[in-house]
Amino acid sequence: MCFKNLPIEFDSQGKAQLKEGVSNPYTYQVKSLHAEEDQLRTLLAKNGHIKSVDFDPVTRVAGALAFHTVADLKEGKILSANSMATLFRGYEVILKGRDPRDAIFISSRACGVCGGVHATVAAHAMEMAFDIKPPPLGIVVRNMMLALEYLYDHPLHLFLLAGPDYSQAIVEQSNPEIMEKAWRTPAPGANIHGYANMGKLMEDMNPLTGSLYLEALHMTRVAREAYVLLGAKYPHPETIVPGGVSVTITLQTFNEVYARLIKFFDYSKKAAAIWDDLTNFFYDANSRYQEVGSRPMNIIDTGVWDDPYAYDASYKNCNEWGERRWATPGVIIQGDLVTTRLQDINIGVEEFVDHSFYEQWNSHRFKTDPAGNPLSPYHAWNKETIPKPQGQNWKERYTWDTAPRWDRMSVEAGAYARLLITAMAKKLPHNRFIESTGTSLKIQLPRATKPALELEWHVPKTWNAFERNRARAYAIGYTAMVCMDNWQHGMDMLKSGETAVSTKFEIPKKGTHIGAGFWGAGRGFLTHHLVADNGVISNYQINTPSTINASPRDPFGTPGPYEQAVMNTPILEKYSGPENFKGIDVLRAIRSFDPCMPCTTHIHVDGSDRVVSREVNTCACGVD
Amino acid sequence: MTIETATKGDSITAPAGNISDESTGLTPHKEHTEQPGHQEGAQIAQFKGPLEKVYAFWLAGMSCDGCSIAVLGATAPPVEALLGGTIPGLPKVILAHPVLSVEAGKDFVAMYHKAWEGKLDAPYVIIYEGSLADETLAAATGGYWSCMGTSGIGDPYEDSVVTTAEWCKRLAPGAAASIAIGTCATWGGIPSAYGNPTGAMSMMDFLGKDYRSTLGLPVINIPGCSPVGDNFTETVATVLMFLQGMGPLPEFDELGRPAWLFKETVHRQCNRAGYYEEGTFASEYGQKECLVEIGCWGPVVQCNITSRGAINHMGGCMNTGAICIGCTMPGFPDKFAPFYSAAPGSDVSGAASRMVGSFIRPLRRITQRSQNRETRWDRNGEVPSGWGHPSEPSTSDKIAHYFYEKLQFSGSVKPGRTKPEAKYKGNYEVPGVVAGESDPSQKPTP
Ligand code: SF4
Ligand code: SF4
Repeated sequence: MCFKNLPIEFDSQGKAQLKEGVSNPYTYQVKSLHAEEDQLRTLLAKNGHIKSVDFDPVTRVAGALAFHTVADLKEGKILSANSMATLFRGYEVILKGRDPRDAIFISSRACGVCGGVHATVAAHAMEMAFDIKPPPLGIVVRNMMLALEYLYDHPLHLFLLAGPDYSQAIVEQSNPEIMEKAWRTPAPGANIHGYANMGKLMEDMNPLTGSLYLEALHMTRVAREAYVLLGAKYPHPETIVPGGVSVTITLQTFNEVYARLIKFFDYSKKAAAIWDDLTNFFYDANSRYQEVGSRPMNIIDTGVWDDPYAYDASYKNCNEWGERRWATPGVIIQGDLVTTRLQDINIGVEEFVDHSFYEQWNSHRFKTDPAGNPLSPYHAWNKETIPKPQGQNWKERYTWDTAPRWDRMSVEAGAYARLLITAMAKKLPHNRFIESTGTSLKIQLPRATKPALELEWHVPKTWNAFERNRARAYAIGYTAMVCMDNWQHGMDMLKSGETAVSTKFEIPKKGTHIGAGFWGAGRGFLTHHLVADNGVISNYQINTPSTINASPRDPFGTPGPYEQAVMNTPILEKYSGPENFKGIDVLRAIRSFDPCMPCTTHIHVDGSDRVVSREVNTCACGVD
Repeated sequence: MTIETATKGDSITAPAGNISDESTGLTPHKEHTEQPGHQEGAQIAQFKGPLEKVYAFWLAGMSCDGCSIAVLGATAPPVEALLGGTIPGLPKVILAHPVLSVEAGKDFVAMYHKAWEGKLDAPYVIIYEGSLADETLAAATGGYWSCMGTSGIGDPYEDSVVTTAEWCKRLAPGAAASIAIGTCATWGGIPSAYGNPTGAMSMMDFLGKDYRSTLGLPVINIPGCSPVGDNFTETVATVLMFLQGMGPLPEFDELGRPAWLFKETVHRQCNRAGYYEEGTFASEYGQKECLVEIGCWGPVVQCNITSRGAINHMGGCMNTGAICIGCTMPGFPDKFAPFYSAAPGSDVSGAASRMVGSFIRPLRRITQRSQNRETRWDRNGEVPSGWGHPSEPSTSDKIAHYFYEKLQFSGSVKPGRTKPEAKYKGNYEVPGVVAGESDPSQKPTP
């Protein structure tokens, strides 16, 4: 059915099984990177300059992710790209051998940008493993927390991180002709966002001084205030417990959250109008902007926001409760939705470490998942984390990141994945504000200080950096209305006296229990896989959206999503000589993914002695 | 120093900071035997007088970026005000942040190098987020755990990396202050939890006990996982205020924590502490009572989140309903595990407060019933509420109240006891008060 590369087929009941007669169904041959690499080196060596590169600070590798690129400026092409994670902290190793109850608070610390999601997904994994079902209000509170987390995350990305790349300050340098045109181009969304022309709009996106920049910073704080009313603190919340939440709910809680949530109704209208105008303006100015950050529409998402009356934490029923989420789980391959079932998503994911600083493990403990579907030895429930630090070598191993693949294909994760899959799937359960049409999502935004508005986001024809950002802008409205819907559910529960927020639980001292959490981070797809033996964690595996997006080449030679997107990016920037080349198009491509690791690009300019290096920030409070 | 106001020449002048003598440096804890400030007097001279700008180098080691995100949420002062130099009296902070800086590339790392070579035109501080890895462990197999920057020698393809720990070693000696933010940097935190492969440690462990900044300070520690953003920006602001002569010497405790923020246990300021005292405890998550029996470590944890909130005075752990897991403490996480289970010590103290509470609570309810009534209602003998029927005080309530009042007003005047004619000279009749008598409602009715 949905798998093309894995040796799995489905019987007439739709049950997965291994194809018959395949010996060693999961083995593979690692495609060598030597030839590719040697060719590049010859290219670089031929120009004779590479040894005399000025190794000024520009060559440094900063942050936890570095990006290494070879560019041919004459052709305006990127020849090669390598994405490398430069940090290992060992969370999975630390969790091994501990009490399962520690997983929530410890794994939350895996990410300080979206720690709240890790805490929740860890709770899900425990709930599945130990059969704990949270009460409806507990689920609704989790949903609201997650939505509020996104409402901080999306504006942060759109206006503080990615935004400056489209601001007057940057565009004036990289493409003066576009800025000049901007001043002459009226902005179609003027009646919503209030900017008469594109130039003014882009000016207000300038870092630290632009009013759109400052407004976004303010809105991130509004969302975080609402978040900590439920989560206690941010980024690492304290209120997620196995079996629900530990929040003392009163009307004050709901009222204070509401007072902040409604500020996002108008903001959603504005953000969507701004990014619509920006996207269309750039496409208009040069249609090749559609190629920036482009890659095949191969998308994966776990879905998020559980139906409080459907979620029962069981693996057995996860296909059903998964499809009842406010964001539908699913996989899109080449623009087609191939599944919306969590079990297919789960068994299709394998993690490869052939080009990473880890050793291959050899065990294959779980041949099937708890529902009897075949499991690969490279699946998270079977994977082991065996770190092996070593020098980076582009031909062999170059990153602390692994290469997760679904059905052995490179897929990408992101906030936009929620919109794409939910819009295509038409599985959205009945709700008050959002409708999935198969090709679009319709979002009803209520009147606040601005009139009510129906936003409609359409599945785009091409998949690139601009569409990622545009979708993320619409995701603000989508998320705000999911939060509103859940808020109303919560109020209804208070009305009917369903006020329990947690379920008591015990950790069994005997036997093997396995569980998984599937839940979206701000940047999409997130899973935790837990194996507990006799009440102790014997394996814990975390797979994040940035693990997927920043992944290196897989054993089949396919680059990860960042790598692919960068290699497809044309260089459209105007510069007087290689020494003034900034690499803005490459940065736009990477930032459109909302990388949640500090990320640096390195561009070797082919045919010159220049190495360009630029930060790709995940956060931008320091602008000096 | 001078605070510029709108009209020229109309400026307020505050006394210049006294930075070069005995009071040099910020006060380390009293018990600290050596006053580090004294040794480094010479270097401090350079900071005399108001500063125009200060450089800040943010180093991220084995971190989750949560501290950066926490600081972004600060409001007192907000980070953009520090960086924009818009706080009157305070210098502009020029921040180099590997994650946050917008302008990067050449100039960016050049600044780190300049600081290392001592060529900056103003003092600098370093701020370390995340724990420091024991890189010797990784180097044994030719690799690294955490890095920032390259050595600057060799082929770009095979360039060797500079570890974050190495940057810390380079910059710490010349820094005016070294600040560790977050529990990873202050005490090792989660990356140093039992079973970790990286040998993670804190900035203090890494630099050693003899480390002093040029201001003569050991490492300043602002713990929390994640920390409260305001605890960081406030510490920076108060240190700057001191250096500018605007404020007193901030006090730090024996572990280098800002004492005014971390001296108290979080339990003492907890909004559930009253439940603890009355011996009523939550048995399930979400209940409103004290959380100690479902895993709260608050009574032994030094943290200010219950009084300060998490962001803009919103949230906070117990304020919201969450247990304290000790995330600001040097023993975090291993000494507080397994989470969600009661601390053994709470058995004893919980039982004690249960006992005392069972005695105190009924007494308080008696007084509460009386205080819940207007004096007019006492006088008229009824409560005109359409909402329900508050119970009338029982005889025993009245007796108890009689003695209660005796105590309450011994050595004081009970309102209404003064003769009305003495009070109202114009012969104005106070409703319900017979001239010549004291207010009858105040008469105890035993
Ligand atoms: S909830 Fe924790 S901090 Fe608050 S009173 Fe109880 S034990 Fe103390
Ligand atoms: S109350 Fe406890 S868990 Fe919460 S921030 Fe303070 S130390 Fe951390």
